Order: sequence, then structure tokens, then C-alpha cells
Amino acid sequence: MLQYETIFVTDPNLSDGEIDELVQLIDQLTVAAGGKVIKVERWGKRRLAYTIDHREEGIYVLMTLECPPQHVKEVDRRYRMNDRILRHLTVRVEDESQLGPSPMMKPRPAEREDIPAEQGLMP
Amino acid sequence: MGRYDSGGGRDAGRPKKQFKRKFLFRKKKFCKFCDEKIKFIDYKDIRLLQGFVPERAKIFPRRISGTCSKHQRKVMQAIKRARALALVPFTSD
Repeated sequence: MLQYETIFVTDPNLSDGEIDELVQLIDQLTVAAGGKVIKVERWGKRRLAYTIDHREEGIYVLMTLECPPQHVKEVDRRYRMNDRILRHLTVRVEDESQLGPSPMMKPRPAEREDIPAEQGLMP
Repeated sequence: MGRYDSGGGRDAGRPKKQFKRKFLFRKKKFCKFCDEKIKFIDYKDIRLLQGFVPERAKIFPRRISGTCSKHQRKVMQAIKRARALALVPFTSD
């Protein structure tokens, strides 16, 4: 059993209910394959860095799974079948930090007064 | 004798120092990731990655950023993953 991290980007016009259905589908498939879902993170609507099929925005959902390797193929196949999913990516969990909340969930540095925004890791 | 060489001072006969003098005002570059002991670079950490894809959205080269080869490869991998998900641009006009 390995840990994977899977992200998909959907059409921005999908309702919350439809997103829930997708999450549930992955959940059910994973459980059926003998795995389990460790974490689900909804990033909500985000602006895309470039347009995809004339869409400027997308809804991002991140899931962390623990499942047998063959299951990844099945999940990928499901993603490809669904034409409302614009982009998807499944990778192995390389670092423990990936099991906790992702950087996307942290407050923006601009909102934090203790660290000025310029003081990032900018080269 | 170089322009900045004052002759037989303390550093006479120490070629390394003479070389250094030419770059007296240039800061030594270092790998920020090694410095902060970051082992894993997350493709989801857009704020960090955006520092490596300035205006034209090209990946910041090592010769300028000073990142070590090990970490540069990780940055590259992370940026490419982020690009696939439209988190970071491929190009920008």
C-alpha cells in the first residue's frame, strides 16, 4: 500500500454537489480497491495560470490516498473519462509535510503582519 | 599585476585573494534551500515557485539564483508539475 496525492481541476461551473459526487466516487473506488482516503482538501475556485478550453477559472480538489499501485491507473482512467475535469495529476507522497495541510491552505504572507511579503524564498 | 593589486602587501603571493578582489562588491551566491535545510519542494507551494518564474515565466537559472544542482532539479520538477495544473504559467505575454 502506497500513499498518493491526487489533484483534479474541474470546470468552474460545477456545483458543490457535483464536486461532492466526484470526491465520493474517488472515495468509493479507493475503498473498493482496498485503500483509504487520508485527506480531502478543497481549494475552491482559482484563477488558472493559462486558459484551458476558454475557461479562466477552475475548481481545485486535492485528495491524499493510501491504495495499491494499480488503483492509480483506474483513478487516472476515470479522470480522463470525465470531460468536466480539465487537468489532473497523481503523484507519490514524497514527504511527510504532504500529509498535513498543503501550502495552499496557509494564510497569505501579505495578511500576516510579522513577515513582509518580499521576504520569501525569492532569489 | 592587476589593477586592484597594490603590490607587496599582506596578500602578496596569494593568488586566490587577488582573484577575489576583482569581485569585491559581489556577494557570494548560495543555495537558499540548502541554507534553510529544505529537503522537499512542493509543487503546490505557488508562492515559493513564483519566485522562480519571473515575468516571462521561464525557470530562474541556477547561474543567477545560486541554487545548487540538487535543489534546482527539485525546483524544476515542482514547476513542471505546477504548470501541468495551471498553477504556474508556461509563458506570459
